[in-house]
Amino acid sequence: MATATYPPPPPYYRLYRDYLQNPKSAPEPPPPIEGTYICFGGNYTTDDVIPNLEEQGVRQLYPKGPNIDFKKELRSLNRELQLHILELADVLVERPSQYARRVEEISLIFKNIHHLLNSLRPHQARATLIHILELQIQRRKQAVEDIKRRREEAQKLLKESLATLDGH
Amino acid sequence: MDIISQLQDQVNTVAALAFNTFGALQRDAPPVRLSPNYPEPPPNPTDDAAEAPNTSEQPKLLGAGLVKAAKQFDALVAALPLSDGGEEAQLKRIAELQAENDAVGQELQRQLEAAEKELKQVQELFGQATDNCLNLKKPD
Repeated sequence: MATATYPPPPPYYRLYRDYLQNPKSAPEPPPPIEGTYICFGGNYTTDDVIPNLEEQGVRQLYPKGPNIDFKKELRSLNRELQLHILELADVLVERPSQYARRVEEISLIFKNIHHLLNSLRPHQARATLIHILELQIQRRKQAVEDIKRRREEAQKLLKESLATLDGH
Repeated sequence: MDIISQLQDQVNTVAALAFNTFGALQRDAPPVRLSPNYPEPPPNPTDDAAEAPNTSEQPKLLGAGLVKAAKQFDALVAALPLSDGGEEAQLKRIAELQAENDAVGQELQRQLEAAEKELKQVQELFGQATDNCLNLKKPD
């Protein structure tokens, strides 16, 4: 039974022979990649952005614009979803052969809802960052107060001990 | 679990309930008379005896489950902590907090350095005092 060995390490290690003595004699690590790159035959991009619905070939049901009222749109999409489910039940009773269009519309609504929820994630990330910064500021202020208090206590103790020694 | 994941989960639950509802109704529906020419479909006795209480209640229960899931989705949407500031307001707040964080950090650094200096001074003095004590101690 033939087994494949692991591939050998890349041969660059020889360039780092004198690294301990002279860190500059060896090449610098490669700079971070920007833009698009190919990895194992697949194209990846470093610019993380949620693709628009149109780019995925899905019709966008909620209005476009700079600021979307997420709560209102989510609620109206929910109502549309319920109506479409009822319509599907109706169609199945009356004209069963026309179910395909209704099922397609229901899946369109689901895709829109999921896209809206995904576009809430950057907002959530920024809110988390704000929360973390606030916590950090609070902790640092607390530490400053603690250090001030301890220094004052130490000063007081020194003065008292000085008074004790002088009065001795 | 954070609210957005809960919302996503709830949407998936609604989808699952919807197709389970239609699947169950389709599977359990009694046969229907297609045209007056064909005879009435024979009633299957074993089926009816076992499922008679269920088939009449099933659509109501399934429908009620769907509506309950949709209402939960609405409740979750209402619970979204969405401030209307938008992206710019958030970025501005982040910049403010960063500036404040830097200021407090520098204050902390100053206090820390002063405290360490004082500590070193006290340690030095303590060392001197103990040396004096040891040197002045007369051997009996």
